[in-house]
Amino acid sequence: MKKHPMLKYMKETGPQGDRMPMIMCPGCGSGQVLNAILHAVDRLIQEDGARKENFVFITGVGCSARLTSHYLNFDSGWTIHGRTLAIATGALLANPELRIIVITGDGDTGAIGGNHFIHVCRRNLDLTIVCINNGLYGMTGGQVAPTTETGISTTTTPYGNTEESFDLCRLAEAAGAPFVARWTTAHPHQTIRTLTKGIRKKGTAFIEILSQCPVHKKQSPVQMLKALKQGTARVKPGEPPVEGKIPIGEFCNLDKPEWIQSYQKVLDQFSNHRTPVEV
Amino acid sequence: MNTRNLLEPGVYYLQGAQACLEGAITAGCRVYGGYPITPATEIMEHAALRLPQVGGRFIQMEDEIASACVLLGSSWAGEKAMTATSSPGFSLMQEAISYGIMSETPMVIVDVQRPGPGQGYITTSQEDVMQARWGHHGEGSAIAIAPASVQEMYDFTIEAFNLSERWRSPVLIMCEENVAHMRERLIVPPLDTITVINRKKPQDLGIPPETYLPWGHDVVAPMANWGEGYNINYIGLVHLEDGNITKYDLAMHDRCVRRLHDKIEGNVDAIAKLETKFVETCKHLIVCYGSVSRTAIEAVVEARQVRGIDIGFLRLKTLWPFPEEQLRRILPPVDTVFVPEMNLGMMKHPIAEALRDRCRKIVPIPCLASLHTPEYILAKIDEEIR
Amino acid sequence: MTPIKRFEIRIAGFGGQGVVTIGKILGTAFTVYEKKNSVNTQSYGPESRGGACRSEVVLSDGEINYPFVRKADIFVALSQVAFDKYVADLKDDGILLIDPNGVSVPASAKKSCTVYEVPAMELSHEIGSTKFQNSVALGALYPLIKPFVAEDSLRKALTDNVPPKTVEPNMKAFEKGKTYLTSHHPDL
Repeated sequence: MKKHPMLKYMKETGPQGDRMPMIMCPGCGSGQVLNAILHAVDRLIQEDGARKENFVFITGVGCSARLTSHYLNFDSGWTIHGRTLAIATGALLANPELRIIVITGDGDTGAIGGNHFIHVCRRNLDLTIVCINNGLYGMTGGQVAPTTETGISTTTTPYGNTEESFDLCRLAEAAGAPFVARWTTAHPHQTIRTLTKGIRKKGTAFIEILSQCPVHKKQSPVQMLKALKQGTARVKPGEPPVEGKIPIGEFCNLDKPEWIQSYQKVLDQFSNHRTPVEV
Repeated sequence: MNTRNLLEPGVYYLQGAQACLEGAITAGCRVYGGYPITPATEIMEHAALRLPQVGGRFIQMEDEIASACVLLGSSWAGEKAMTATSSPGFSLMQEAISYGIMSETPMVIVDVQRPGPGQGYITTSQEDVMQARWGHHGEGSAIAIAPASVQEMYDFTIEAFNLSERWRSPVLIMCEENVAHMRERLIVPPLDTITVINRKKPQDLGIPPETYLPWGHDVVAPMANWGEGYNINYIGLVHLEDGNITKYDLAMHDRCVRRLHDKIEGNVDAIAKLETKFVETCKHLIVCYGSVSRTAIEAVVEARQVRGIDIGFLRLKTLWPFPEEQLRRILPPVDTVFVPEMNLGMMKHPIAEALRDRCRKIVPIPCLASLHTPEYILAKIDEEIR
Repeated sequence: MTPIKRFEIRIAGFGGQGVVTIGKILGTAFTVYEKKNSVNTQSYGPESRGGACRSEVVLSDGEINYPFVRKADIFVALSQVAFDKYVADLKDDGILLIDPNGVSVPASAKKSCTVYEVPAMELSHEIGSTKFQNSVALGALYPLIKPFVAEDSLRKALTDNVPPKTVEPNMKAFEKGKTYLTSHHPDL
């Protein structure tokens, strides 16, 4: 039987590895996202000569966070809920050669991690944020999230959600991220292409992937994938969204000074000579 | 280590805050993430100035939680990192400290203590000393030390980094507002006389990625960093020596947490430092820490020389792990033990426990929001003894 | 230089009178230039704005334990509020240096301690601004601490602790303060 091409990046199942039984629920979209990310990383390794040792996957807490520790044969960190981007900031300042991919969820990014999210976008640090948005808190049992649509019933909105929801892409753009995009688990090829571009991008790349949570939404995964395909419409940068459809596509791709590059100018003042130290 | 633009050997007149940061960069700190808070801001401002001069990077983060998290990421990526805060910020950092303990991450946090609870005030205090041990959720200890002078802000900060690298542990520098703000002489010795310790690495021990156990090999595991090809996964959950988190059972959980606990609490003699004067045969005793020890020694000398009171002096340079055995080994049985603290009585608890059968009475001398004067301590000694 | 075990100087005034800088300069002169030991502390925060702002220097040839003033040897008071708040901590036979235009000393205090006056604000004004009153006070303080610290050390420390563009007027102010005191007290 032919092996899945991305298995080369994953731990072996055995005494050391835990690939099977898989922790994800049947029909969960996270596995599709992981597949897409690995394809993108593979392209960078094959096409750009990127070093596998430089890739670091950082996750927080939630279903999305489970993708690294159990499965990946890369440097990684399964860290504090919402704080992945602050941790990633520290790692980049220590070693700017690291190619950091943060895999996060809509709660991890949009709620507890909200502050760190907008500041990373503002600072334009060179990392990639892959936000798996299933519109709720999956790991803890299906509570409402800042991305849950108005009216939806969840375990903490049993009478229907009375709040408005975030558009995380617009938030990222407004906060200053130069590369912002949204796809869904029903758009695998586009996702891989955009992820490749995003990881290559020098600066903050925010890529949101709408994903299905069949267990808490109580729908079949096939149904949900169809809905994701039909309920979204691609827009080009600057184009208005199509009525009644969630906009998907690459929304912006700007050239802006990246944080490490800007700070290097400060470092360069002191690199070549002894400065009389004034305290 | 790159010593470019460190302070040259000589005599300086600096604030404790500045001396602390100079010690940090001398010890190899090259990443600083911070947030403004009175009375710790001066440390951060000095970091903004000095980090690029020594080839490091400084960033002002959006809050204290983010600042503490910068330390985790930086340490895992291979660079020594520090932040400084005050008491309310220290509360915010507890989750990151707890994570640092479980993931065995070298990191240094300075708490310039101010009174609480809440926003309290912006003067001096020792009200966080219990929090240093018990403030993070869960078992496991961080190491906590208490400098008392500008020179010690430099020396103890170098020691803090050495301890954090040697034991793969968060180290908390529990200083006080008055020490951070006072100006005093700092003597910088020739740099080649300063010991700087770096984390043991599997590469140095000839352990390749295939056989590397991230939490094994030794009491303190050698530490692989991101970017070195070791596929190291940093985690906050209970784990096996090889990093596995899914083969969970109670025995594995017990082993993991006890190992963390014993790493610090089982090595108190190697970690904890204290200082004594006049204790060989004293009748009474003062036990103190931080800048209160400066008042206490002044009071002790006066009590002995002027008032003929046979009182000894013990200063805890390390607060945690608490050196209970050392205290019991060094001290003779005494009558009254005085414990002056800039709080309503915190370290008096482990002190009382340590000397439970070695003294007649423990007398706390609390003083909130300002440093005890020698008169204040002497009056209490008089009241009790005469 | 006369050896000292422990000598305590407190300077106090309104926030903005440059009290903190005087303390820094004294500490720098004694530690960096005289190569002795000193601790310099100051009051911090709102209490220093509009209220009594305090700076202290403890000098010693040896170790300094307790870092604050217990009983000041010299108290420099530049405002009445500061004087009232801190005069009790002055040694009975201590030295008081005041700005007579801002501070009036009750007769009871005058009995035991030695009082020197320097119209610091007025003399600073003669140079063009009241901003230099602290350097005037420092200049007047110099003859009182001559046994411990060389004038050159104070001048160097002053240069270290004021903005480069203001070194010249600050030096003038220092000279004014020194001359005022020595001309009124030729024994110093």
